[in-house]
Amino acid sequence: MLLLAISVALFSRRALFLFRLLRTGKPAARFDNVPARARAEAKVVIGQSKLLQRLLPGLMHAAIFWGFLVLFPTILIAMIGAVDPRATMPWLGAQGWYAFLVDIFALLVLIGVAMAFVIRKVQRPARFAGSHLGEADLILALITGIVITLFLWHASQIALHLNDYPAQWAPISHALSNVVGPAAPVLERVAVWSHVLIILSFLVYLPYSKHLHILVAAFNVYFGRTQPRGRLQPVDFEVTEQEVRFGSARASDMTWKQMLDTMSCTECGRCQEVCPAYNTGKPLSPKLLMMALRDNLLSETSTPIVPNAVIDDVVWDCVTCGACVRECPVNIEHIDHIIDLRRNLVMVESRFPEEAGTMLRDVDRSSNPWGKPQSDRTLWAEGLGVRVLQPGDPAPGVLFWVGCAPAFDERARKSAVSTVKLLQQAGVDFAILGPREACNGDPARRMGDEYTFQRLAGENVATLNGAGVTKILTTCPHCFNTLGNEYPDFGGRYEVVHHTEFLAELVREGKLKPAASNQTITYHDSCYLARHNDVRTQPRELVAAVGKAVEMPRNRERTFCCGAGGARMWMEEKRGRPINQERVREAAATGAETLAVACPFCTVMLDDGVRETGANLQVFDLATLLHEAVERQRNVRLSDT
Amino acid sequence: MNVLVLMEPGEPSRQALTLARKFGEPHGLPVQAVQPFAPDALAAALARAVEELDAGAVFAAGTDRGNEVMARLAARLNLPLAANCIGAAPGDPATVTRLRWGGSLLEEARLHSPRPLVTVAPHTVPADDGPQPPTIEVGSPALGDLVVRVSDHIKPTNGGISLADAKVIVSGGRGVGSKEGFAIIEDLAGLLGAAVGCSRAVTSAGWRPHSDQVGQTGTKVAPEVYIACGISGATQHMAGLKGAKRILAINSDPQAPLMLNADYTVTGDLKEIVPAISAEIRRARAGRTSS
Repeated sequence: MLLLAISVALFSRRALFLFRLLRTGKPAARFDNVPARARAEAKVVIGQSKLLQRLLPGLMHAAIFWGFLVLFPTILIAMIGAVDPRATMPWLGAQGWYAFLVDIFALLVLIGVAMAFVIRKVQRPARFAGSHLGEADLILALITGIVITLFLWHASQIALHLNDYPAQWAPISHALSNVVGPAAPVLERVAVWSHVLIILSFLVYLPYSKHLHILVAAFNVYFGRTQPRGRLQPVDFEVTEQEVRFGSARASDMTWKQMLDTMSCTECGRCQEVCPAYNTGKPLSPKLLMMALRDNLLSETSTPIVPNAVIDDVVWDCVTCGACVRECPVNIEHIDHIIDLRRNLVMVESRFPEEAGTMLRDVDRSSNPWGKPQSDRTLWAEGLGVRVLQPGDPAPGVLFWVGCAPAFDERARKSAVSTVKLLQQAGVDFAILGPREACNGDPARRMGDEYTFQRLAGENVATLNGAGVTKILTTCPHCFNTLGNEYPDFGGRYEVVHHTEFLAELVREGKLKPAASNQTITYHDSCYLARHNDVRTQPRELVAAVGKAVEMPRNRERTFCCGAGGARMWMEEKRGRPINQERVREAAATGAETLAVACPFCTVMLDDGVRETGANLQVFDLATLLHEAVERQRNVRLSDT
Repeated sequence: MNVLVLMEPGEPSRQALTLARKFGEPHGLPVQAVQPFAPDALAAALARAVEELDAGAVFAAGTDRGNEVMARLAARLNLPLAANCIGAAPGDPATVTRLRWGGSLLEEARLHSPRPLVTVAPHTVPADDGPQPPTIEVGSPALGDLVVRVSDHIKPTNGGISLADAKVIVSGGRGVGSKEGFAIIEDLAGLLGAAVGCSRAVTSAGWRPHSDQVGQTGTKVAPEVYIACGISGATQHMAGLKGAKRILAINSDPQAPLMLNADYTVTGDLKEIVPAISAEIRRARAGRTSS
């Protein structure tokens, strides 16, 4: 009894400290949408969906997790049994089926621990680099101890006929009871007390270790985002000066959800394994970032996070590709942490990689990141007969939101030209905004310059709403994400479609008739399309319509960034190896002739990567490939007649 | 009330003086009092002068040196420093207006401090045309304050011509082919008294340092003549060329964007053309000196 009281007191002391810490967090609106949260809980926690993305470690964790769900009542049963060997929990303690489940699931836990042992000691995956390995070993030892003492207790119980459940229902314990034999009377006491003592020390140890996730991960999943994944939480500038949260300078500036994120991290390193920055030798590891933030938070220091907990480079290495967020089994939202650190550095400290300053200034003053005159925005469309929407004109069926890169960049504009020609052939009623279109603000926002982003968003929403636009087509996944997922926060609600979706629809309807060629094509998924916005099948329909598809190992929602996301397009890649070259080598290894893309930034980055590595590949946007295939079909028909 | 001003040669310090006069009677401490420049020693001298004069405020120009000395003074006195101000008014508390977000926003701030420490953003305030303030004598600096000091002046490797200020730039791209290939570019640049530039591809390949890079994420240049050798002219590069008055492009691909945007173009192999230009310049100069 006394032991129980001490353990509970020690546990509660720490739990209370953590809870009070969370209460000091800044507000986060995560109490809405209960049905979606319950669904996430069922899928991610009970169903272990994210863990099972990797078979062996997934099964390992699921075996231990499901095992402990079943074994949980045995803790109380053992405590009762420890005090009085003849007593047990009413009803459940006497159920044969439960004894059976306990036996089976206890065995599953042991198998799980054995798998964990193999993973940690034999396989030793690189994702554990930097994790607290000793803590994990101790926890696995404790789990083994809990299960073995449980078996020994049950076996000696059966040997002494102290069991209230039918012995034959517990096959493993029953078999073991024949082995324990004469030692049973002593063993029964020793086993049950060791069992209870190990559980109590486990309880006390938990909140002081990375295995805190056992207690908080379920909450972290429940309070995870229900809003679109590609959306960032806007900074509210309309409150008093003191209340504006310019990102996070110190741990105390984090929202309570962000604090819970850091406490939920179990250092499994799945994020680290998929991170483009970490994989190319850069200082950023999403896992080490979370650990550093947690240490900083729990130490209750008031020193700034950057550069004390993490160095500046870590904050700027992130491409916001979301691979870590997607992979994380406990739904940690790493990007939000990075963006909050950037917001503080940019808006308060004015401290960021100096070469990106030009982009921020040009986006602010010239409404495009290259500082080109707005009057040049339609140069790419000269001679194409594209309608430029004038104030007062009736709204078109579809507004083609061109974006800055297709409008100004030599390589990116090819996709815009191809898209226009395809739309014209299919007889689509569309128009562009021309000089009235301004940068959507994504590069500024992902840099942390929320102020400039919100100004641009406000202006663009006013233009679009004023023109009565309801449906928007864009070739840029960044425009696509910002307009579709982020503009609703600023009063802009439109149906936004990516050109791959729109063109695939036109092909399906028979309005475009491509002729496939023999060229082999590997398609590079853009992060903001495939991962943040789930557009994965339509681009593949287009690939199938124009050539022969070969997949890269990292494809669809597990795509590997081109290196330009998160405003990295505007920063020099001074650390580690270039991400774009890494991706180009992966593409070249498929043996494909063509590297197909669906994003102007991927176009530029991967085309540079091809030139730099000398890979035998040609980079084309899907719209350009489709246009070629449609022309091919036309020529076939012409030669037939 | 006495006010202390760190005086550097040039306009910015006279501008700081304008704001300083609003606070009281200025006394100058010349930055040359400590030679060579040693920010800690100057901060120590300012701290002593603050004591002696019982100065109510300290001003300096918001130059690299002014900001550094004042930051060290602020640390010594344990007082707040308002940097890069464009306006300041005495009072309790004093009020300042300062540049934020790279100059795109102005911040009105109250400075709760018994002695406001202020640096003034250069060329934002009219220069003071009153009499030179009396100069304060500075004793010899303590040895410990000389740990950080200018020990040497090193000229930039770029022949002393900075890209941003160069009148002529000879720039090489991926077409140059290798680090060693830049010898012909450097040779031509030397003959023309030009700076050497390069494209991002060259920096990525490690042929030239990032300080030579012209473009969006490198240096923005505004020369009279920009000679682009083997540069295709990606948007990233063109964004750095907006200020160039005349562009001469040498490229084997006549359809390269830089060729389409240049005033003069030569289509062909830069490895033949660039040495030929250099040889022609040498010949012309030799002819001029002999005649």
